[in-house]
Formats: sequence, C-alpha cells, structure tokens
Amino acid sequence: MNRSDILKDIGERFKGEILEVFDKSPKRVYIEIKPQALVVIATYVFKNLGARFNIASGLDTHKHIEILYHFTFDEINFLISFRVKLLKNKLEIDSLAPIFEGANWIEREICEMLGVNFKGHPELKRLLLPDEWPQGVYPLRRDYKEWDDSSIRDRGL
Amino acid sequence: MSITLKALLKSPWVFHLSTGSCNNCDIEILDCLTPRFDVERFGMLLAGSIRHADVLLVTGSANRKCIPRIKQVYQQMPKPCVVVAIGECSLSRGMFIHSYNCPLPVDKIIPVDVYIPGCPPKPEAIIAGVVKLIEKLSAKPEKK
Repeated sequence: MNRSDILKDIGERFKGEILEVFDKSPKRVYIEIKPQALVVIATYVFKNLGARFNIASGLDTHKHIEILYHFTFDEINFLISFRVKLLKNKLEIDSLAPIFEGANWIEREICEMLGVNFKGHPELKRLLLPDEWPQGVYPLRRDYKEWDDSSIRDRGL
Repeated sequence: MSITLKALLKSPWVFHLSTGSCNNCDIEILDCLTPRFDVERFGMLLAGSIRHADVLLVTGSANRKCIPRIKQVYQQMPKPCVVVAIGECSLSRGMFIHSYNCPLPVDKIIPVDVYIPGCPPKPEAIIAGVVKLIEKLSAKPEKK
C-alpha cells in the first residue's frame, strides 16, 4: 500500500471518528481522533495495515493534555501521528498495552509525568520517578511547582 | 606526611562514578586512560571496585535516584580519599539546574576536593586538575 491508499482507507473506514487531518509533509500526517475511538483505530492500523507502533508522546497545552501515538510504515518511509486531546478535568483514556506490548512502558511514563489514567493497563505503577516523589505531583505539567524545600536552584553567586 | 597519604599519592587508583551524565565526560575520562594521554605515568589506574580506589571521579548532575547511591559509594571508600567532580553538570548541574530531578549539586551531597569545569573538560584539563591536587596534598599533609 502506498501513502494515499493508507490515508484513503483510514479516512473512509473511520469517517465519524476523525476530527481533523493535517498533512504536514510527504513523510508525516497528523490525524486528530476522538479519544473513545483510539483502541479501534490503533488495532486496525497495527494489525491490518501492518504499521509499527513507534512511540507515544504526551504534552501539556494549556487547555488540554495531548497524547500523540506515532505509527510508522517503514517500507514507504511514512509516519502517521494520531492525536488525542483530553480535557484536564477528565484525564482518562483506554490503554493500548493489551494490544501491543510496546505501549506498556510509555503509558506508565506518561501516567507519572502528566497524570493520565490509562484504563485497562496491566500494571500502571511508577517507572522512572524516585520512590520519595509525592503522589499527585506531575513534573511535566505546566502548573508544576517546586515541592522540595531542600533543593538548591541557584549557583551560589 | 602520613604513610597512608604518601602511599595514596604515589599511585592513586581512581574509580569512575557516573551519576546521570550524558557520557561525554565519561568518554573524556576514558580518553585519559588511553596511551595518547596516558595517566598511568602518574601511577593512576582505573579500579574495578570502589573498595580498592583512592580517588572518586564523579560525573553527571546527580539525579534524585542517584543521590543515595553516591552516598553509599562514598561510605564504602577507604579513607583517606579524594573526590574529584568532573564537568559542569557535577559542579553546578549546568543546564539542568532547574530540572525537577536534579535538586542538589554534587558538593552538597559529598565533600568535593577538586572541581574540573568544562562541558566536557579536555583530557588535558582533567590531568592538570589531578596533578594540581597531588601537589596540593603533598604540600599540606593535614588535609584529611
């Protein structure tokens, strides 16, 4: 399948779930989808179209928390990023870890860094942060405040 | 000069501890040990275990998970000993000074004797720093 076939197939099959398609470059397309349709679309792209799950990335825009799921088609050098916007008062999305194991650790990392709850994740515990890190403090949020009074943030000049 | 310090300065064995660095300083330290720079002419050898070492070379910005490990390594070191902080990250954390995961510079965690700045410091700078340290310790034996 080439690039236009893939885009046409996804566009027709998931017409109701796609909110916006942003064609950035010949190598890269961003597709914004509804959060509740993520599992269906990811399963189809991974199992039927044969894409590789590259990585997911989370970021805090001021209104939403966005998660981008990057799927690559290595033979034709093409990358599709599925963008999901979550409201800050309801940070929940279905986990992709039961479908492919590659989503397991990155979902754990997004959970501890941004505080997104992945429903159905097999083992949603802390991955990178130390044990003494307080619960409910997410370091990559925009409203993150220093919580450790013993830390030193100047160069002693 | 006490006999232990004299023995230490004759052939300081170094132990290399990376506390979350980007590995550039580590590469420069390994460069020092190659025949081109050859710190073995000062009697320095890379020790495999901290219990055999006289000098602790610390690189990296000391992240939160590493701080208890630095303390543990320092406690296991035979005294008298010398700690050398190498690179901007271990001196003042460099660009990571406001990072949530790097709360303290290395010299607030363990006592540091020599600071070698640079990002990364050249092997010449590392050798110069260690030679200065040896000279200073030979002049003032009541250091530790």
